[in-house]
Amino acid sequence: MENRIENKTEQRRGFLKNIAASVVAAGALAPVSMSAKDDPALIEEPEWGKKLGLPVDKYLYGVPSPYEHNVKRRVHKLLSSGDMYASVAMCPIQDLEGIITPNGLFFNRAHGGVAIVDPNKYRLIIHGLVEKPLVLTLDQLKRYPSESRIHFIECPANGSTGWRAPQFNTLQFMKGMMSQAEWTGVKLSVLLKDVGVKPTAKWVLAEGSDNSHMGRTIPIEKIMDDAMLVWAQNGEALRPEQGYPVRLLVPGWEGNLNVKWLKRLEFGDKPWHAKEETSKYTMLTPTGKAVRYFWPMEVNSVITHPSPDKPWTDLKKGDLVEIQGLAWSGHGTIKGVDITFDGGKNWVEASLKGLVLPKAWTRFSYIYKWDGKPIILGSRAYDDAGFVQPTITEEVSKMGVEGIYHRNAIVTWEVTAKGEVNNVHVRDYKKERESIEKMQKGAKDA
Amino acid sequence: MLKLNRKTVSVFASIALALTAPAFAAEKEIKVKGPSFKERSIDGAVDYKVKNGTYAGVYKVNPQRDKIKGFSYGRTPTANEIKASDIDVRYDWQGLPDGKGTAAKGDELFNKHCSMCHGDFGAGGKGYPPLSGGEKSSLKNQLLDPESGDEPPHKVIGSYWPYASTLWWYVKTGMPFPHPMSLTNDEVYSIVAYLLSVNEVQIDGEDIDDDMVIDKKKLMKVVMPNVDGFYPDVNGKDGALNMKKFLSNPQNYGTQTVRCMKNCEPGEVVHIKNSLDEGIIPPVSEKRDLPKEKKSSGGDNKYAKMFEASCNSCHGNSAIAPVPGDKEAWAPRIKQGKETLYEHALKGFKGMPPKGGTNLPDADIKGIVDYMIEKSK
Repeated sequence: MENRIENKTEQRRGFLKNIAASVVAAGALAPVSMSAKDDPALIEEPEWGKKLGLPVDKYLYGVPSPYEHNVKRRVHKLLSSGDMYASVAMCPIQDLEGIITPNGLFFNRAHGGVAIVDPNKYRLIIHGLVEKPLVLTLDQLKRYPSESRIHFIECPANGSTGWRAPQFNTLQFMKGMMSQAEWTGVKLSVLLKDVGVKPTAKWVLAEGSDNSHMGRTIPIEKIMDDAMLVWAQNGEALRPEQGYPVRLLVPGWEGNLNVKWLKRLEFGDKPWHAKEETSKYTMLTPTGKAVRYFWPMEVNSVITHPSPDKPWTDLKKGDLVEIQGLAWSGHGTIKGVDITFDGGKNWVEASLKGLVLPKAWTRFSYIYKWDGKPIILGSRAYDDAGFVQPTITEEVSKMGVEGIYHRNAIVTWEVTAKGEVNNVHVRDYKKERESIEKMQKGAKDA
Repeated sequence: MLKLNRKTVSVFASIALALTAPAFAAEKEIKVKGPSFKERSIDGAVDYKVKNGTYAGVYKVNPQRDKIKGFSYGRTPTANEIKASDIDVRYDWQGLPDGKGTAAKGDELFNKHCSMCHGDFGAGGKGYPPLSGGEKSSLKNQLLDPESGDEPPHKVIGSYWPYASTLWWYVKTGMPFPHPMSLTNDEVYSIVAYLLSVNEVQIDGEDIDDDMVIDKKKLMKVVMPNVDGFYPDVNGKDGALNMKKFLSNPQNYGTQTVRCMKNCEPGEVVHIKNSLDEGIIPPVSEKRDLPKEKKSSGGDNKYAKMFEASCNSCHGNSAIAPVPGDKEAWAPRIKQGKETLYEHALKGFKGMPPKGGTNLPDADIKGIVDYMIEKSK
């Protein structure tokens, strides 16, 4: 935070220095003579206007402006299981615009490294309780009629460092375990018509071909509803980090159910209880019992502007400013978002903007006149499934603080008089402790 | 000319006002409507349909999609192909192959392949998940205040995992981490026997001693201590329906159905006390400047790539093995001379298996050692 302010001061100093230099140096070629009030960036022809740019064949696959090099995924040792192979690289959601994540910035979670699969050796095998087991090559799979859908994918551990207390002061590490893309592939219900699922088949094991051989169980209802086999994201082949050449897409559900580098679908009459649905991805509650198979990502939202990364330090008292952010729900479509300026005591309705799609990031907006006084900003989304984002205390009172996954409590920002933005919690620890102790006691008596 | 009447003026005034003093809702609470249980999909979500050629009211759909069948791509897999692909072990033991092992053999194998990451006896401490040393009674612990000194829950195999089938499946298809699918079925049986024994899991009320032979029949008798520690019940005939009931009621997991609009009581403001921002790589920056020139890290070196692929999962973590570039850690090792280091790498040394558990030719292993030394001088 302090660095950022120093940087701004530095920039301003640099700007004044430039003016001084330019006043002296303003050459005969400048159309006007420069005064101290003028910005040399407008008076002088910039260097890139006085020479050739890059040849069009410089990058045959384009890259962002070098000036944007700080917009990148980032990692943290604490968020790994020992190394950078079973780990996660967080998406810089504070720097994203609209609702689509560029493929190079899509968050990257792997359980045994990012597999580089040879598409020529790629095979998908479908077997188990089906009339006609099937093997497909990549080209054969891509022959099926395709559809494109815009959905977020979110790791259920997104926000998990916030159960006990706020710990990160950057949006990237608070909520960056999610991204959104337009996915293209075939609906499983279309492909499976010719495979013929037996009536005894109730569950499907989806398995990846990577080092971790990730396996997850999905109920047949979801498979036939909106699940897809996808081979493209945002118009190009899946990136290796997203499971090239084929991943399963289960819209709205926990990230790791969207099995990457998909190799196998087995139909069965029972769930499998794979490693990531027993030892991990289960939520321990204060009773000592854990919730398993928690599939959908609950209704959620966060204000991206402002945020600790996008403060208001350049605003003057009385400036108009847009407050905006992202809302999403795996249970349906965002219906609305409320905003608070006093830490959640009173709420007003924000507006949704842009595309409002099921199981997808939705932008919300509120134009505000900041009077320069400190505020506690927060957002609360609700969806067409009838679900509303909880306060921290409402969620913790039910789930405790050891569940790791599926944290969707309201996020609040402290905006200081200087316009700095800090991650703060608004919560009632006493109430939380009482609820937790009550549940623990109930479990002992039972 | 637009003539402003009193009403228009007052609307303008109230919009301007709303920017600083937002108009609050009249009601204290607003209930949010959702579909009935019947109208929800299996996860409690809204069950969107195709209506008039449009899905969920937004996506156009080719109407042929749901009528046409008879795509003839692909082929039927052979029985062998299915057998080779079908590597899972379900909780009811479907898929468990034949084989046998003992905890004594498992102990040896564990020290060779696993303890460098999971610690002695699987007790952890190396930055990778601990596998043993936790009590089931700890699962109720809730560390609401990290400074309280209270113990967090210990979720290890014996205290937490509901099924031993998962352990067999995990070890076979996911371990050893740098080169999975390299253990024989008998080796997996032995490692599983060892891990169950250090977790004090019993079979038929009997401790698993070093020489007890664990075969398919014996292993299938294992009932894990925390088998009843999970809900909802997904295993029966109504498993998915039980999930739907649980997920359709947000009260089960703290999500709400009502929007409190005014005079709500969310609690006190809590600031960051223990910041984790320091550990972010690279540090967060919103600067728009040109990137600094990067020094070549030798990443193009052939052996650097081999190191990355075969050695980095241990030698990238200083808790397990010396990390190349860590001059302090390497100085005493370099002193021992290249030949000694070659020998350690080729034949194994302490926690390090021969050739790091790889099948690389000797020349490549030596090349990797050279690279590691070069990087650490």
